[in-house]
Amino acid sequence: MSAEKVTISIPKSLYQKIEEKVKESEGAFKDVEEFIEFVLTELLKEEEGEEYPYSPEEEEEIKRRLRALGYL
Amino acid sequence: MRSNRVLVIGLDCAPPELVFERFRDSLPTISSLMDGGFYGSLESCHPPITIPAWIVMATGREPGELGMYGFRHRKLGSYDETYIVNSHSVKYPAVWDELSKRGMRSCIVSVPPGYPPKPVKGCWVSCFITPSADKQYTYPSLLRFEIERVIGEKYVFDVEFRTEQRKRLLRELYHMTDLHFKAINHLASRKKWDFFMFVEIGVDRVHHAFWKFFDPTHHLYTPGNEFEHVIEDYYKYVDQKIAELLKVVGKDVLILVVSDHGAKGMRGAFCVNEWLIEKGYLVIKHKPGGVVDLEKLSVDWDRTKAWGWGGYYARIFINVRGREPRGVIDPSSYESFREELADELRKIDDPSGRRMETKVYKPEQLYSTVSGDYPDLLVYFDDLYWRSAGTLGHGTMYLPENDIGPDDAVHSMHGVYILHDPEGRISQGRRSASIYDIAPTLFELFGLEKPIGLRGRSLVEAV
Repeated sequence: MSAEKVTISIPKSLYQKIEEKVKESEGAFKDVEEFIEFVLTELLKEEEGEEYPYSPEEEEEIKRRLRALGYL
Repeated sequence: MRSNRVLVIGLDCAPPELVFERFRDSLPTISSLMDGGFYGSLESCHPPITIPAWIVMATGREPGELGMYGFRHRKLGSYDETYIVNSHSVKYPAVWDELSKRGMRSCIVSVPPGYPPKPVKGCWVSCFITPSADKQYTYPSLLRFEIERVIGEKYVFDVEFRTEQRKRLLRELYHMTDLHFKAINHLASRKKWDFFMFVEIGVDRVHHAFWKFFDPTHHLYTPGNEFEHVIEDYYKYVDQKIAELLKVVGKDVLILVVSDHGAKGMRGAFCVNEWLIEKGYLVIKHKPGGVVDLEKLSVDWDRTKAWGWGGYYARIFINVRGREPRGVIDPSSYESFREELADELRKIDDPSGRRMETKVYKPEQLYSTVSGDYPDLLVYFDDLYWRSAGTLGHGTMYLPENDIGPDDAVHSMHGVYILHDPEGRISQGRRSASIYDIAPTLFELFGLEKPIGLRGRSLVEAV
């Protein structure tokens, strides 16, 4: 996430619902802001469509594991 | 026959010889499913490998239609461009996709290729091709945090194979399987679902790491060794976990236990590229100083006719003019060269001089459609008893173990299925079936029409 932040407004009722979710997450999310950042980032990733899911480093790591498992 | 809910229990690599025979008396849960159900060996697809076999089972489509011939593929016409198959690679609808369209809910856990997680009506947890538990591995995204809360730590997708650290591997194997079943039991009891399918990869891993310790016919078996009962004990543990799961899901659920392929003892690893060099089909510019991957060597492509890949089976690629950047085999002689190469491969002997029972297939002989980045030949050395080693520089073509670490088992063509209806609508019996029969069976159980073009037949029709 970029360090520079902007402020947006959301309905208070939605904010309160998210507060509940944050509480239920038992520490997975620090606060409402972190929750919203996570959800929106995931949503935008879904919009990116079906691109190749591995970075070059991840692909090398997967290949290393597959070799050790005998698949390659 | 219709069923409201179906639970598919996937045991990767479980062979009929162990489940139905050798361990049967030690597995009260699986045995009771067999007693009250319909079961038999399940013939896998070609190649009988985790990817593509599970997705063949879930779609009913051949590897040739799916364009999936293993985990890794090379882009046709390239020497070094490769990619790993993933969930985006699946271009045919699986059972859960058809159910989603009709508003039915599925819970899919660790069915390869399961990464990245796919949106379904229901939920999804990805499989062992996930780079790490820090990546997004569930659908919906927030499910990941719910799972981690339930299991009390980060999700574990697989165990790390380590040379000669088998006690540690075994601890990790039990730990992983325990976490998997915690997550599965949670999802099975807390989520709404019509269809639930999971694959436990630990069964495959215990075979590959411990087979030589329990199989008296294995060339590295030592009687009375400390790991002799590891595989059986692990099966008993999984059986107990299945019993707990069945209590959670209740009595109105039809149960299908399946495996994607079987297992048998490995006789060794055959260095396919060393053989191709000796026969003059592959030419490298400098001899390797030690053990090295072919892709790390300088290949003289202008004089190379064919090269191979390692794995449980060998993929052979032919250097075709007009297809590969520096191809040497003219397209007009492609077929005769492929025949010549296949004949030579079938003549390979094992180190004792015995002729191996090597099977060589052209993709178009195995599949009604051949798509994607297919190999020119698929080779099962000694009917898969010898795995293929892609590395060179061992000073021999025959390795007593895997070229990259211990791997005591290889794959066999037959896995298992057990179909059990708690309402007793399925008669008891035993009959062998095909992996292609599973998707049609599931379609029928949910009252859906079988998609056009599936080669399998519903098992329910037969009972």
